Amino acid sequence: MRRYREFLIPVVVFGLAGFLPLFLKTYYVHIGILILIWAYLATSWNILGGYAGQHSLGHGLYMGIGAYASTYLALNFGLTPWVGMFVGMAFAAAAGWFVGYATFRYGLKGAYFALVTIALAEAAVYVVSNWKAMGGAAGLEVKYLGTNPFMMQFDGKLPYFYIILVMTLLAVLTAQWLNRRRFGYRLIAVRENEEAAEAMGVNTLGTKINANVLSAVMTAAGGTFFAQYFTYVGPRVVFGEMVSVQILLFAIIGGLGTVWGPLVGAVILVPVAEIARAELGTQFQGAHLLLYGGVLVFTMLFMPKGIVGLVKSVRSRIWKTPDDSVSAPAPEGGAS
Amino acid sequence: MTPLLEVKNLTRVFGGLTAVGDLTFHVDSGEIVGLIGPNGAGKTTCFNLLAGALRPTSGSVFFKGKDVTGRKSHQMCKLGLTRTFQVVQPFPDITALENVMIGAFVRHGSTGAAEAKAREVLDVVGIGHKADVLGRDLTLMELKRLEIGKGLATEPDLLLLDEVAAGLTPVEIDDILALVRRLNSEGMTFLVVEHVMKVIMNLSHRIVVLNFGSQIAEGTPAEISKNPAVLDAYLGEEEYVA
Repeated sequence: MRRYREFLIPVVVFGLAGFLPLFLKTYYVHIGILILIWAYLATSWNILGGYAGQHSLGHGLYMGIGAYASTYLALNFGLTPWVGMFVGMAFAAAAGWFVGYATFRYGLKGAYFALVTIALAEAAVYVVSNWKAMGGAAGLEVKYLGTNPFMMQFDGKLPYFYIILVMTLLAVLTAQWLNRRRFGYRLIAVRENEEAAEAMGVNTLGTKINANVLSAVMTAAGGTFFAQYFTYVGPRVVFGEMVSVQILLFAIIGGLGTVWGPLVGAVILVPVAEIARAELGTQFQGAHLLLYGGVLVFTMLFMPKGIVGLVKSVRSRIWKTPDDSVSAPAPEGGAS
Repeated sequence: MTPLLEVKNLTRVFGGLTAVGDLTFHVDSGEIVGLIGPNGAGKTTCFNLLAGALRPTSGSVFFKGKDVTGRKSHQMCKLGLTRTFQVVQPFPDITALENVMIGAFVRHGSTGAAEAKAREVLDVVGIGHKADVLGRDLTLMELKRLEIGKGLATEPDLLLLDEVAAGLTPVEIDDILALVRRLNSEGMTFLVVEHVMKVIMNLSHRIVVLNFGSQIAEGTPAEISKNPAVLDAYLGEEEYVA
């Protein structure tokens, strides 16, 4: 039983969140869906960016692949997005492997890795914009069918809420699972000190590529949901830099490399941004973007480990200091 | 019996500089072999070549009778050859226990088994009581012990120690020496690079001396300390040798 306790908290938290829409107006359910979309995407990004420390600024690439794959297949072959989602994930896996291999094989790190990922996502925007079958710059519209669960379409918001709730739960459980598994430890080792990790038997190249693939696959599934919810995909909308940047924003503000960070970041920031957009949208376009920028700068300066990191360090200070000072210094020289 | 490690005509050239040239030596199972030489003699390059961090320009490395020339670090580690770093390389943001667990995962797939192994190793290197302290919060002495622990956790047959004594007080050095001797008596083989002569002379069964990337002498500590070529290479540092 103890083995599964780590998964109990997320299940309970998300189970309780499942009751929220019953008390909320439709508009707030919409906000809830937005929160969960970004929490899901940021959690997916966090596996590569937070755990493995490779800051991709081009996750729009995978999101776009997921969104376009399911939408294209539904429009042209009538394939249900439930299956199209997995096709998109498979394409994203291939793309994630390619990007990972092409960059990590040649030792690209930090800003250089980030720049290449931006460039690839941006290239995808232009490729898709000029791809007739993909609707070109106009994008693709998901054909309206009314409520049709088989085609992942619903008139109300509630079903969407529960779909993304389950997806986000699965993403959080994946992060929780990594937290206490060999692969997760290896991701952290790569982030912390690549040379030492390699010397301690960690295949750093393979680990980074795998992290990129896992992260890409998860992101692509989010892309499919995004397309179904907004019933539209456009090159800039899903592949663009806005998406790529927002994905990592919530993870950074919430806490890099933590299970709950991306979710916490999205829960706090999305509603504020939405209010800003709703209240100031007409007079002051892009107010929410300014807000994101401001919060990001504040986070970087005053809590570089994000909200969850801050909470953790405060907690450990309160809990640990007393018994550290009580216990006598343990005897040295246990070695001899 | 084939030696545990056999180095044949190992050469590494950086641009026009031959950092290691035509180096040949071996390490037998159960030995502690010292690798010494003046600054810039090629000791660390040699370590990097053996551990797979660098590819040799020419020559070959045999480990357990197998040609392992050009293998990568993580592959060498899995084969049973692990190196420690001269400048300690902890994972700063995770605990000492987790630092060591990364190494334990080489032989143990499950977290529970890796954690048990890591706790055992932390006790062996004498920082068991620091298990929950973050890598960044350890003292230099603790980090040196952690560095050895990280290597031990990979359960190597041959552990390459790169200047473990550097920066430690004489008392701390004695502790580390006792630790290495004990591990050796339990069957672990060591190749040790060291600047502190007291360490190398006390510890090594056999010493290989490098200068300008090539071997200039080999023998027991007693022989080495009388070898004229070695004295020449260390001219001005004789008092340390004696």
